[in-house]
Amino acid sequence: MFATKRLGKELSKIHGSLPPGITLVTAEGFQEWLLDIRVLDENPIYLNQTYRLKFKFSQSYPIEPPEVTFVNTTDRPIPIHPHIYSNGIICLDLLGTQGWSPVQNVESICMSLQSMLTGNTKNERPEGDAHFVASNRRRPRDIDFYYHDNTV
Amino acid sequence: MPPAGHRPLDPSLPPSTEVDNDDRAPYTPGSSSSLSSSSLYKHLRTPSTSSLNIRHPVDLRAITYDGAVDENLVCPICRCPLVDPVLTECDHIFCRACITDALSNTKLCPIDRSPLDSDGVSRAPKMVHNQLDSLKAKCPCCASSFARSMLENHVEKYCPEANVKCPGIYSEKYCKEVVKRRMSGRGCLHYPVECPDCKETLLLVEMEEHREASCNEKLKACEHCGVNILRCKESEHHEECPDVIRPCNWAEYGCQHEAKRTDLHLHADECSFKLVGPMADTLKKEIKLLRSDMRSLAETNHLQERRIKFLESAQRASDRPMELMDLSLANLPESANTEPLDSGHEYLLSLLESQQSRLSQLSNELTDFQGKNTMMLLNETIPIKNELSELRSTQQVTCMHVRWLMRFRMQENQRRFGGSPGPGPSGSPDGGGSSSDLPFSRRLSDSAPRDIITKL
Repeated sequence: MFATKRLGKELSKIHGSLPPGITLVTAEGFQEWLLDIRVLDENPIYLNQTYRLKFKFSQSYPIEPPEVTFVNTTDRPIPIHPHIYSNGIICLDLLGTQGWSPVQNVESICMSLQSMLTGNTKNERPEGDAHFVASNRRRPRDIDFYYHDNTV
Repeated sequence: MPPAGHRPLDPSLPPSTEVDNDDRAPYTPGSSSSLSSSSLYKHLRTPSTSSLNIRHPVDLRAITYDGAVDENLVCPICRCPLVDPVLTECDHIFCRACITDALSNTKLCPIDRSPLDSDGVSRAPKMVHNQLDSLKAKCPCCASSFARSMLENHVEKYCPEANVKCPGIYSEKYCKEVVKRRMSGRGCLHYPVECPDCKETLLLVEMEEHREASCNEKLKACEHCGVNILRCKESEHHEECPDVIRPCNWAEYGCQHEAKRTDLHLHADECSFKLVGPMADTLKKEIKLLRSDMRSLAETNHLQERRIKFLESAQRASDRPMELMDLSLANLPESANTEPLDSGHEYLLSLLESQQSRLSQLSNELTDFQGKNTMMLLNETIPIKNELSELRSTQQVTCMHVRWLMRFRMQENQRRFGGSPGPGPSGSPDGGGSSSDLPFSRRLSDSAPRDIITKL
C-alpha cells in the first residue's frame, strides 16, 4: 500500500519530466518498471549506446531498496564496467541494504548509474565475472558485495 | 407543454427535491413490504441526522491537494505532504510513520546518514503543523476543496457524497446498509423496485445511478428536437429543449401565438401585445405593491383600534376610586380631560402617561408588599428553625440514651448466658447491675456502642 502510493507519485513525476538521457519504457503496475539510460558525454566505452534497466519493487519500498539490474535485449547490451557483471547484476552500495536510503528514488538511481558509467575508464568486467555468472543463484540484494573500490 | 405522463417517473431523479409517498408509489412492488416501508417512512425523519454519522478516517496520503504543494512540506520518504511531521536531531523533517519505518530498517537518518534512534525524533514545530493543516485538499467523496485539517470533519458530518448509516437502522427493519448522506433524508432505500425503463429489479438506492449510467434503456430521443437524452432527465430537458412549442410571452393577456422556443423571439417583434404586455406587467406589479401596502395599513389600523379600546377600558377603571392609589396621580387624566383636546393623539398620549404612572406606582407597591412578605416569612421561619435545631439535639440525646440502654442490655445478656453473643429478646434489666455499670458504659458511649449497633 505504502509502496504503491509512493510509486504512483514517482510515476506521475516521471510522466511530467525526466532528466536528459533517461526514458521510461514501461511501468505497468507497481512491481516492475523498465527504463532506458544513455551516457551523455563522449565516453568512448558507452558512445551511442542505450542500456535497459529493470527495477523490481518490493512491498516495503522505499524502506527497502528496489532490485535494479541491466537487462540484455537485441539492441540493449549490458554495459561493460568493472562493477557490472555480464548477467546485469550491479555492484553499487546505493542498491544494497547498507547504502540505501528511503529518500532515494527511481530517478536518482538512474542518475547515479549514469554517472557511474560516465566516470568509468576501464573497459573490463569485474574480477571473477565468469565464475559469478555461472554460479550465482541468489537475488542481487542478498549478495554481500564488498564495496572495496571507491575509485569508480 | 410538458406531457402529463412524466410526473410519476421522477422520484429517484432530483436528489434534493422533496419526495412524498405518492411519488414512490409506482416503484413499490405493491406487496406488504411496500406497505411497511412507507409507514416506516414517516417516523424515519425523527432520528437526528448526526446520529447516522460514521467515522471516516481520511487517508491524508491518498487525497489530492489543490495546486503544487511546497516541496519543503513534502516528506522525502513517501513524497506526500507531511502527515504528523516529526523533527530529527539532525534537523530533518519526516512523517512520523515514515521515519519509524525507516529506522526499523537502519538506524541512520535517510538524508544525511547520521546515526539516529527513535528517541532522536520529536514533534515538528507548531508552524509546520499549521502550514500543513492549512493546505487545501479535495474531499475524497465530493471533490470540493477544504483545509486539510477540516477534511475529516467535513466527511464525517457534512459531505453530501459521504456514506452514512441508513436511516432504516432506527426502524423495526434495522437496516445495516450505508447510504450517501444526500439520500439519507428519504428513509431506508434498501428495498427492491423495478426500473421504469428497462424493467430490471434493483434496490431503490441504486436506481438513480442505474438510470443515469448503466440502464440499457437510459437514452431516448427527445420527441421535439430528436437529440438523445437521459430518460430520467426528460423533464429538465423539456425546460430548455429548443424545439418545444411554447406559448407567446404575453399569452396571459390574450395572445394566441405559439412557436418553438428558438423561434419565439421572431414573434416577439410582431406580437400585437408587445406594447400592452409590458404595460400590463408594470400595472400588475403596481397593484401587487398597493395591495401589500393596504394589507399592512389595515393591520396597523387594527392594532391601533385595539390599543384605543384597551386604553379606554383602562381609563374607565382608573376613574373608579381606589384606596391604594395616590389621588394626585389619579387626578391626572381628569386634568387632561379638561384641556380642549382637538387631536386624538394628545388624548391618547395623556392616557398613556397616566397609565404609565399608575403602573409605576403599582410596581412600587408591589415591591413594598414583597418586602413586607419576606419580612413576615422570615419572622415566621426563624422560630421554626430554632425549634427544629432544638428537636434535633433532643433526638441526638435520645439516640445516645437508646445506645447506652442497648449496650447495657447486651452486657446484661452476656452475663446471664455466659458470654454468648447476640442480645436475648427476653432479657430483663437488673436495677442493681445497671447502677454499678453506669460509669463504665458512660466512658465507652462514644466508641463501643457503635460497634454493637453494627453487629446488630
